[in-house]
Amino acid sequence: MSTPAPAAARASAAAPQRRPRRQSRYLFLLPALVFLALFSVYPLVQLVRMSLSDVTASTLNTAWPFIGLENFQQGLASGQTGDALTRTAVFVLVVTVVGMVLGLAGAIALRTRGRWSNVLLAVMVFAWALPPVVNGSVWKFLFADAGLLNVAARAVGLTDTALPFLYDQYWALGAVAFVNSWAVIPFNALVFRAALLNIEPEVFEAAALDGASRWQEVRHIMVPSVRPTMLVLLVLTIVYGFRSFDFIYVMTYGGPGTATNTLPFLGYLQAFSRFDFGLGASTSVVAVLVVLVLAVLYARSISKEEKE
Amino acid sequence: MRNSAQNRSTRHVAVIGAAAATALVLAACGGGDTEPGATADGGATADGAGGDGTVTVWHYFSADNQVKLMDDYAAKFEETHEGVTVENVYVPYDQMNSKVISAAGQETGPDIVVFNGAEWSTLALAGALAPMEEQWDGFADADQFPDSVIHGMDDHVYAVQGYVNLLGLWYNAEILEEIGVEPPTSIEELEAAMAAATEAGYQGITLSGLPQSQGEWQAYPWLTSQGFDYSDLDEQALTDGFAMVRGWVEDGYLSQEATTWDQTVPFQEFTAGDVAFAANGNWQMGTAEADAGFEYGVVPLPVGETGKVYLGGEGQSIGAFSDDPDLAWEYLTETYFDTDGQLLAVENVGSIPSRLDASQEPAVTDNALLEPFATTLAENGANYPDPVVPPENVADLQTAMGQAWSAALGGQRSPEDAAADVIAQIQGLIG
Repeated sequence: MSTPAPAAARASAAAPQRRPRRQSRYLFLLPALVFLALFSVYPLVQLVRMSLSDVTASTLNTAWPFIGLENFQQGLASGQTGDALTRTAVFVLVVTVVGMVLGLAGAIALRTRGRWSNVLLAVMVFAWALPPVVNGSVWKFLFADAGLLNVAARAVGLTDTALPFLYDQYWALGAVAFVNSWAVIPFNALVFRAALLNIEPEVFEAAALDGASRWQEVRHIMVPSVRPTMLVLLVLTIVYGFRSFDFIYVMTYGGPGTATNTLPFLGYLQAFSRFDFGLGASTSVVAVLVVLVLAVLYARSISKEEKE
Repeated sequence: MRNSAQNRSTRHVAVIGAAAATALVLAACGGGDTEPGATADGGATADGAGGDGTVTVWHYFSADNQVKLMDDYAAKFEETHEGVTVENVYVPYDQMNSKVISAAGQETGPDIVVFNGAEWSTLALAGALAPMEEQWDGFADADQFPDSVIHGMDDHVYAVQGYVNLLGLWYNAEILEEIGVEPPTSIEELEAAMAAATEAGYQGITLSGLPQSQGEWQAYPWLTSQGFDYSDLDEQALTDGFAMVRGWVEDGYLSQEATTWDQTVPFQEFTAGDVAFAANGNWQMGTAEADAGFEYGVVPLPVGETGKVYLGGEGQSIGAFSDDPDLAWEYLTETYFDTDGQLLAVENVGSIPSRLDASQEPAVTDNALLEPFATTLAENGANYPDPVVPPENVADLQTAMGQAWSAALGGQRSPEDAAADVIAQIQGLIG
């Protein structure tokens, strides 16, 4: 009986101190909220407003005439939005699978702390931090007929003619998706590695005593321990793949023809090449909606899983 | 455990919520709400434009000789205007229009815009160009300029071209000599020469198949050579045009890689020395002189009687929000619209002067490389864009045709399908 009293006393004594601390916490949140409202919420509202209006080069700088869902209907009726959605799905699939699998593989390979591991990580961060325009241009050179990859492929007898990395309709989508994946691998590897470093060394020692193979360590220790990280990273990687624009702009400009026109690039073409800003905004809104649906689905599935 | 699971769950949902918020912002940015490349460089410069003795000139030139011309113009103007500075600002080709339009929305922008002349209507409709009919009407030399280089609508003059650019057929004289053929004068001769060059281990031709306006510009002569015309949308003629050039890809004369090249890259391929021909412009004259380590020449594009070659070139305008339009006008009259200024463009870039008097100067008439372009201009020259295309639909049509050209060259669509698709699209644009 004597225990509750001091506990209650502690609680009541601590309460007056905690409350202001909690309130002051929200003050720290304020700058971020203002920033988010200014640079995220406001542009989004404008985007939706633009998608429902007839905005062209001649009306951009005047009042925007409201036209309801006409832009959306036009995009769907032309078939361009549907085609772009399919290409985006393929693109996202490649980016996600390659980015996640190789990211995890990289993290496993670089799991231990050490000089070379750190050097390699630094190089990876450098590659990740390079502007996509630079990355894309370098890869465009590498993929060219006279580029390193084709020269190497010919040297080892893999092919007699050049591999059409960027100018065959199927290869081009795959090649640009691959470069997008390549650029996200370092980030994913870093996040996975942070999760792997949280595993106690004793766990591996115990597994070694039980005679676990390296593969069994990966399968039964590492993968389960990075699972929560994996789910969050999956959403981020899907979103990253979904917003792909810069690599396509630099490497293929959506071509050959329309073979690499994903939703963001289609939106760019409509808004900044054809100067139909309303139509471009409607394509972007479709992209936002798809990402929203994905995010909600993942949030629900994780929530359900945790409850079980 | 339950609490812990709930906490984890809450954390995950929160993180995913943050991810979703990030997604929204990023997707919005990617889609077109934000201008690619932002307006940082151009916008910052534009803020300091005009009124302070600075003439800010936005251009999209990156080739050395073109940049030198801009520097020469700046020096020429500064020499006669003490205390005045000309600031040349590079804006990537693909971003020029959107940056100019966006700047106009913020009531700012450059003093002078040098842009793809065919796209004057896009900028004028957006209110980004200052009408300059008053200055033009008072310009003593206005009668030296043909109507085809003066652009405007509703009784306003919005842009004038200081020169004309067009395509010709560049050839590597050493390769032609080796394979024993003369520079071609017809498509049949061109195809025979390309076949011989390919047989000898060279590439036949380079051109641009990029799915945008540069592709449309390069496609036009070949498509019209087969009878296609925007004023008479003949699907079979267009199919024939696509099929002819796709055939060059299949026969190994032209690399399918052309679908990733703008107009600069194919000329670099040509100057490297392993290609017999390049369909490229007179503006490459300086690049050829600097980079080609072989004998070369130019002949008119062999496009037959029906074939037409666009008369392009950059338009020059005063920005709608120039702080000092009078100084901007003086800059134009002393550089792009001036006889000596136009001869500087001939010397540096190989452009064809738009002034009648400048075009009669020896620098033009005695230049063997310019002569084939002048011949093309006289015999096959066509207004760019085609006058049947309404000003507000020019950009749309260029994108549609550029994509079809690229799709046919890259094998994404058969020539028949590419032609049928694009005709259906441009019928609505031309009306």
